[in-house]
Amino acid sequence: MSDITVTAASDIEVDREALDASINEFAEKNGDYYSEAFHKIHESTSMLPQTFNVAAALLGPIWAAMRGVWGMFWAFLILEMIAWVQIGRGAWGNPGASFTERAEGQEQRAQGFLEKAETARQAGEDPARFEKLADNMTRAAEKSRATAEAAGAEAFSIMLMGLGLLIVFKLIQGLYANGAYEKQYSRWRIDPARTESGVKQRNMVLGIVLVLLIAPLTIYKFTVASPFEILNAFPEKAVSSAFLSDPNETLYTTLSKWMETRIDNAAVAGAGAFDSIVFGVRSVLDALTVALIGTPWPVVIAVICVVAWRAAGPRVAIFTAAALAYIALLGYWEVSMETVALVGAAVILCVVMGIPLGIWFGKSERAYRIAEPVLDLMQTLPAFVYLIPIIAFFGTGNPPGILATIIFGMPPVIRLTALGMKGVPESIKEAAVAFGASRWQLLRDVEIPLALPSIMTGVNQTILMCLSMVVIISLIGGGGLGKEILEALQYAAKGPGLLGGFAILFCAMIMDRVAQGAFRREDQK
Amino acid sequence: MSDVASEVVVKLSNVWKIFGDRADEAMAAVKAKGLTKPEVLEEFACVVGVQDATFEVARGEIFCIMGLSGSGKSTLVRHVNRLIEPTSGAIEILGRDVGSMSTTALRQVRAQQIGMVFQHMALMPHRSVRDNVAYPLEIRGIPKSKRWAVSDHALDLVDLVGYEDRLPKELSGGMQQRVGIARALASDPEILLMDEPFSALDPLIRMQLQDQFKALVAQLQKTTLFITHDLDEAIRIGHRIAIMKDGVIVQIGTPEQIVMNPADDYVREFVQGISKLKLVKAHSIMEPLESFSGDLNGAPRADEGADLDQLIDLSVGTDVPVVITDKGVDVGVVSKPVLLRGIQGGKE
Repeated sequence: MSDITVTAASDIEVDREALDASINEFAEKNGDYYSEAFHKIHESTSMLPQTFNVAAALLGPIWAAMRGVWGMFWAFLILEMIAWVQIGRGAWGNPGASFTERAEGQEQRAQGFLEKAETARQAGEDPARFEKLADNMTRAAEKSRATAEAAGAEAFSIMLMGLGLLIVFKLIQGLYANGAYEKQYSRWRIDPARTESGVKQRNMVLGIVLVLLIAPLTIYKFTVASPFEILNAFPEKAVSSAFLSDPNETLYTTLSKWMETRIDNAAVAGAGAFDSIVFGVRSVLDALTVALIGTPWPVVIAVICVVAWRAAGPRVAIFTAAALAYIALLGYWEVSMETVALVGAAVILCVVMGIPLGIWFGKSERAYRIAEPVLDLMQTLPAFVYLIPIIAFFGTGNPPGILATIIFGMPPVIRLTALGMKGVPESIKEAAVAFGASRWQLLRDVEIPLALPSIMTGVNQTILMCLSMVVIISLIGGGGLGKEILEALQYAAKGPGLLGGFAILFCAMIMDRVAQGAFRREDQK
Repeated sequence: MSDVASEVVVKLSNVWKIFGDRADEAMAAVKAKGLTKPEVLEEFACVVGVQDATFEVARGEIFCIMGLSGSGKSTLVRHVNRLIEPTSGAIEILGRDVGSMSTTALRQVRAQQIGMVFQHMALMPHRSVRDNVAYPLEIRGIPKSKRWAVSDHALDLVDLVGYEDRLPKELSGGMQQRVGIARALASDPEILLMDEPFSALDPLIRMQLQDQFKALVAQLQKTTLFITHDLDEAIRIGHRIAIMKDGVIVQIGTPEQIVMNPADDYVREFVQGISKLKLVKAHSIMEPLESFSGDLNGAPRADEGADLDQLIDLSVGTDVPVVITDKGVDVGVVSKPVLLRGIQGGKE
């Protein structure tokens, strides 16, 4: 065994030499300055900055670019630009210009009224009306002039504010530059290959180019009252005419026309397939509708309350009874049941399709990678966007509404099923395989039972997502409570809108509470 | 079945496992040029998990595979039930080649002839203890009444009566591992694969389970491959021990052989800290009768199979050496200095 000298923590000396060498290697230029600065940072115990980097304060973002501190570069490029825009507005801009312009117009119009008054007087009519108008206009013009002058006087204070901001930003950069650079040094020690270090010519050039590209144009646009037209809006028409022969067409009109014919053609070509999808959805919906509306209402209420009791306990059952009473007493019974049938059909279809897909994605990493962007799209694409093709392909009414609901509601159950499948411990799967389980047995006995809590969470999420679509699908002819809300919205009917809204809320709460209660019991088993 | 002890149940011949995308190329290169492990890693970016493993395990034998983590022992044992496919080499169970079995046949062998116990128990948390134990039978489609009876019997073997209807999480770690053992025994397999079954348990429970397990296996006559990273455990349990290092089996032998004649420095280092009291037998340290010139009448006598522990007991009460006998005939003596050196581990 080699001899180890043990030193008490309080007697340990800081080995500056090794550290200095490392900092010098990192900083390349001005290494001594930075090792001194980093030492101060290392030795300080307070959060306040200990050093001031003059180069960083003077050069600003260009220093950051030079040293490769890109986060600081972008943050302070934007902040300094704000300051420079203020300075520019104060120094070269004319903040009162628009008011002066308005005052001139108003004076001209006042002059016009006076002339009209003159002609009226000569014609022997009463000029009082025009005189009054002229008077008003003159007063307005005076006010505009005053505002313009005030704004002009403000120019100086705007400039001062800009200067003040610039100085503050410079100070902040000077104070925090070494701190930020020290953090970068710490990162560099961990991962020297992928962390910027030293002074790179390439970085400096890149920083200067970026500053030159962004700053002057932006400052020009903000400070000069009427800058070049091309800076105000993208020259979309000019670009279009460069591509297209017809001067009346733009890229937008051509593309949208092309897509429209595509969709129309696809709708005609696939009519049979689309109709059978609608038929399938409709049969699920019809079965649910018959069960909920065809059955006498006392039976339905009793069944729902008992289900709530058994699944989620007495408190939820009492709440359910009260909510159902609200719905029934206000005459929303039938439309509410239609909504429940709509949502129920969507949820059933989501679950029937989503769980197998989720299992597949959970097992196959490649399939999941391909599916993930599609799932993201389904959840983020605004519903209004896919309502249009849905109308084209499936027409209007409840079944297309269910399809739109499925698009929005299915991702959670797929995702959470896949997540649950991935979370099944390898060791338990291996044990089942070691005892001779086939793939099907493995799935049935191990993977699905262990993934069940996650799958149930997914189903619950899907129920809520589907409920949130009931108002939107009324736009394409979906019925139920959503339709009531849409009508109330069209007539700005506050009372009916709120009452209907509460009915939807209660439907959602009943479904959510009952489902959650049931799943919680499942978990506890 | 005249010669039960020597019937070979598990036989591995020249088993190689190379992990990586280019495993087959690497294997061919190894066979042609005899590349070493680092060379394979450098040239093919493949890791050699098991290197040329060959051994046989006889019926009723407990064969321990000892090695540190990453030495390939778990990989090796998973070849026996083909959870891992060998890159090269053959594995035979009861004379049948595992590698050439169809999926169905393999599943049948796994369900009927091999029981496996895992380091982290790997019990199904949603099933009762009884249903966990019965799972191998359930896979084979055995009716529930039979399943339950068999699993109750298996639980009885591991002394867990009364816990049948509990969930695994309600049991302590040691009890859970006993459930794991019961599950492995439930289908009455020929072979037990034990993958560090007691490593995750605390020392006292571990000792208890080791003794319980050894007695159980002796009674049931199961052929066992027992993986461990603990040489003490291997010596306590195993009839023979294979020591693995970096995918290579360095030495195979009985505990006594390994402790007395370590094959290389690696094994020697392991063996150093092992207590020899129960391991070393009289015949391996005794000296010829002639070496003692005094009177041996009245000297204590011990069989040549007696271990050091027993010899110490005999030697404490007397000044003369202990006389070692073989079938009643005096064959040698163990004097106190020899005994003390024996305890130290044969230092000259």
